[in-house]
Amino acid sequence: MSLTTTPSGAEPTRARSGWHPAKLIQPFVLLAPAGIWLLLLLVFPTLLILELSLIPGFRLGQPAGAYGLGNYLEIFQPVYFQVVLRSLFFAVGSTLLCLLLGFPVAYWIAIKAPRRWRNLLLVSFILPLWTSSLLRAYAWITILRPSGLLNSLLGVFGLPGQDWLNRSPAVFIGMAYSFLPYMVLILYASLERLDRRLLEAAADLGATPQQSFWKITVPQTLPGIAAGGLLVFIASLGDFVVPELLGGASSMTVSRLIYNQFLGATRNWGFGSSLSMILILAVSIAIALLLKYGDRSSAQP
Amino acid sequence: MPPTNPQNFSVSATTRRRFLQASAAAVSGIVLSNCARNLSGSNAPGTASPEQTSSSPSDSTLRIFTWANYTDDELLKNFKDKTGIQAIVETFDSNEAMLTKMQTGAGKAYSIVFPSDYKVEEMIKMGMLLPLDKSRLKGTENLMQNWQNPGYDPDNTHSIPAVWGTTGLIFDPEKVSSEVKGWDYVWDNVDQLNRRLSMINDVREVFGATLRYLGYSYNSTKASEIEAAYEKLLELKPAIATFLTNGWEDQLASGDLALSMAYSQDALNLIQESPNLKYIVPESGSSLWTDTMVIPKTAPNPDAAYEWINFMLEPENSARLVERLKISTPNQAAYEKLSSDLQQNENLFPSKAVLAKCEGIVPLPSEVTELYDRYWTQLTST
Amino acid sequence: MTSLPSPPRSKRSFSWQFVITLLMYSFMYIPILVLAFYSFNASRFSSTWGGFSLRWYSSLLNDSRILSALGDSLRVAICAVVISAVLGTMMAVGLAKYRFPGKGLYRGVSYLPLIIPDIAIAVATLVFLVSIGASLSLWTIIAAHIVFCLAYIAVVVSTRLTGLNPHLEEAALDLGATPFQAFLKVLLPELMPAIFSGCLLAFVLSMDDLLIASFTAGGGANTLPMEIFSRVRTGVKPDINALSVILILFSGFLAFLSEYIRFKSEQRRLRQ
Repeated sequence: MSLTTTPSGAEPTRARSGWHPAKLIQPFVLLAPAGIWLLLLLVFPTLLILELSLIPGFRLGQPAGAYGLGNYLEIFQPVYFQVVLRSLFFAVGSTLLCLLLGFPVAYWIAIKAPRRWRNLLLVSFILPLWTSSLLRAYAWITILRPSGLLNSLLGVFGLPGQDWLNRSPAVFIGMAYSFLPYMVLILYASLERLDRRLLEAAADLGATPQQSFWKITVPQTLPGIAAGGLLVFIASLGDFVVPELLGGASSMTVSRLIYNQFLGATRNWGFGSSLSMILILAVSIAIALLLKYGDRSSAQP
Repeated sequence: MPPTNPQNFSVSATTRRRFLQASAAAVSGIVLSNCARNLSGSNAPGTASPEQTSSSPSDSTLRIFTWANYTDDELLKNFKDKTGIQAIVETFDSNEAMLTKMQTGAGKAYSIVFPSDYKVEEMIKMGMLLPLDKSRLKGTENLMQNWQNPGYDPDNTHSIPAVWGTTGLIFDPEKVSSEVKGWDYVWDNVDQLNRRLSMINDVREVFGATLRYLGYSYNSTKASEIEAAYEKLLELKPAIATFLTNGWEDQLASGDLALSMAYSQDALNLIQESPNLKYIVPESGSSLWTDTMVIPKTAPNPDAAYEWINFMLEPENSARLVERLKISTPNQAAYEKLSSDLQQNENLFPSKAVLAKCEGIVPLPSEVTELYDRYWTQLTST
Repeated sequence: MTSLPSPPRSKRSFSWQFVITLLMYSFMYIPILVLAFYSFNASRFSSTWGGFSLRWYSSLLNDSRILSALGDSLRVAICAVVISAVLGTMMAVGLAKYRFPGKGLYRGVSYLPLIIPDIAIAVATLVFLVSIGASLSLWTIIAAHIVFCLAYIAVVVSTRLTGLNPHLEEAALDLGATPFQAFLKVLLPELMPAIFSGCLLAFVLSMDDLLIASFTAGGGANTLPMEIFSRVRTGVKPDINALSVILILFSGFLAFLSEYIRFKSEQRRLRQ
C-alpha cells in the first residue's frame, strides 16, 4: 500500500510527511484488522451467495447444477413477484405510517415541550426500543387476537370487533410500533435544528401556521424526513420477526421466504440466495435514491 | 471528511493496485468455486466422518435434539439420578429444519436426535446415522409387533422408535356448527371458518391430508394429483389463519381458532388442560407417524446416547412418561403397565379400524420432493 | 427563542399535537404494560385472569433453559462488543486520519452492515461458514456479531471524531510523545464517551438479534432471542412475560445511564 497520510483537517507539515516506517505501519495497524474481518465475514459471504444465486435449485448436500439465471427468473413468477410486491407494500406503508405518527411527536417534543424536559421525553419515547423486539411483537398478539385487549376495549365502547391478527393490519401495526422510535429520533434531530426565526418572520408577515408549516418547517426538515423514511423503509423491508409472528398464513414477505428457503421446510438455497440478492439490491436502490435526492436538496440554498 | 485527492496516487501505486485487484479477483474466484463444491459434495459437514474428540469435556452431558413436549424436567432428572449424565434438550419444529441443522454442522453437539420415520430413511441414505450396536441395547424385544421391523428402517438398524401417533383435528365441539368427522367439515365451511383454522407447518402432512381427502395416497408421486391437492388447498386458504406445528394451543383454548390440524400428541397434551376440546382422526384417513431416536455420526457422546436409549426403553420410564405427557409409546411392556383408562384411550392408542385408514409418510424421489416444495412455497406465499 | 409569541391559533395546534403525542406515548407503552400485567396472572392463558400471582417469576428463576440462554446471550454480546470496541475505534480513527487509495470503498464496506438487512447477512454468513467447513458454535455467533457491532461503534466514534480538535494530538506529538502515547493519552480519553455509547448500542443490538444468531448458532449454543422465538412458536407460558418485565427494567436503567453519560460529556464539551 502506498499512502499519503494527513492528520484530519490540517494540511501536513513538510517535516512530518517525510518517509517514515511508522507512517505506513500506523494506518495499516489501525485499519487492517477491521478490514480483514469485514472482508472475510461480510464481503466474501455476500459474493458467495451471489454465486449460489446463479445456480438454479441449489440444495445443500446435493450436486450443484450448471450456472444459470433460473433463480432470478423464478422471482418473476406471479406468486413470488407478489411476495416481493407485498414486502415493498409493507415497507412503504409502514414508512408512511411512521412518518405520519412520528412527525407530530417529534414536532411537539422539539418545539413545544419545555426545553429541559426534551431529552427526558425523547429518551422515554425510545425506551421501549431497548426491550426484546420479539417480546414486543409477541405483546401485540395478546392485544390483537380476536379475544384480546383491543376487541374488549372496542366492545366497551360498543364498536364492532376487529379481526386483525394474522393479517396485514397486524403487520402494519407491528412494524409501525417497532420503527416509530427511530423515526421520532431522526425527525427530532432535524426539527431541533430548525431556524425558529424563520417561523417568527413568517408569522410577522402574516402567514398562517399551516402556511409556515408547509413553506418553512417541512422544507427545512426534508433531509430528516428522507433519512428517517429511508431508515424505516430498510428496516421494515428486511424485518422478519413482525411478519412472522403477526402476519399469519397469507402475509408472506421476502425475508420470511428467505428464512424458509434456508432453515424452513423448502431448503432451496439457490432460490433463497437470489431473494437475498434482490433484497440487497432493493435497499441499495433506496439508498442511491436518497443520495441523489439528498444532493439535490442540499444544492438548494 | 476531506475528499480523497486522486493526484496523490503515484503511478506505481495505481498499477500495483490493479495487480492486487486482479489477483484478488482470481483468488476469490478459485476459492468461491471450491466453496460451492464443498456445499454440494459429500464434504458437507453433516455427512463428514466424526471427529473423535474424546477430549471433549462433555462426557457427563448429553445434548438431545427433539420435538417440543417429548421430554420433561422429571424425565431428565430421573435420567441424571440413574446415570449421572446431565441431559440438555433442544427442540425443533419441523423435520426439514432439523435436517438443515444437522447438515450445516450446527447440530454437531447433539448425540440423540428424534427424526420422524421417513426422515430416518433419508438420513440413513445420506450416511448421517450411526448403525446401532444391538449388543449395547436392552429391551428392544419389548417393542410392539408393528415396530419390530418397521418399513422405514428394517430391523431397527439405525433407529429406535420412541413415540408414535396420528395426525388429526382438534376443536371445541361447542363451537363448531355440526359434528366434525373429518376434512369434509373444513372444506364445507371455508366461509364460516374464515381464518380460524391452523394447519401443521409441514408440507407432507398438509398435502398428504388433502391428497387423502381427494382419495389419493398420502404419498402421491403423480404430478396431476399433487396439483389437484394444491388447487384444493388454495380453496381452503381463506380459512387458514396460520401454519403452526406448535403454538396454536393458546389460541385454540381461548377460542380464537376454531379448529387446528395437529399431531395427536400435542392435541392430547392440550386436552389434558382443557378437557372440553376433542381430537379426531379424519374419516378420510391420516398419517401414522413414528418419531425415533437416532445417534448421528457426528455425535460427541455416543456412550451417553446408548444410555439414553436404554433408559427410554425401560418399560417403567416409558409408562410414566405416557402418564405425564400423554404420548403413545411403541413399547408393549410399557403399555401393559398403564392403567386400563389410558390403555383404552382411543386418542392415545387408536383402534385397529382407525389405524387401517392411516398411512405412514415415506420418502419420495428428489424431483417429487421439489414439486411438493414448489407448491408449498406457492401455497404459503399467496 | 425561549418564549415564542404564541398567537391564539397556535394554542389550538398545540393541543392537537399534544394529544397525538400522548396517544403515541400510550401506543409505545401499552404493549409493555400488557406484558407486565399478564406476568402477574396466575392463569396460564392470557384469555383468563386467574388472580394476582408471582408464580411466573419464581418459575422463571428456576428455568435453567432461560438462564442458560441468557448466559449465552451475555457471553456473545460481551465478547462481540469488547472486540468490536477495539476494532471499530481503530477503524474510525484510521479512516479519519489517513488518506489512501480505496478509502472510499473501505468506508462503503464499513457501512454495509448498517444497511444490508439482517436476513441477508445471516444467510450469507451461514453459507460462508458451511462452505469453509467451520464448525458452528457460540464462537461463530460472536464472529458474525462482531461484523455489525464493529460497524455501529465505528459510526458513533466517527461522528465524535469529526467534532474533535485535530491540533490536540499534533501538539502532543510536537511535545515529543510517540504516536502511540498521543493516541492513548490525548485521543482516547476524548473518544471515551462515544466509544461507550457505541458499545451500549452494539450491546443492545447483539442481545436483540434473532436472525444472525439462529443462522450461525451451533454446538448447542442458544441465545435468549432464539429461546424466546422457539417458545413463542411452541406455546408460551407467562414466564416469558415475567422475563420481559425484568429485561425492560434493566434496559431502562441502561438507557438512562447512557443518556446520563451523554449529558455529562455534553456539558463537559460545552464548558471547554
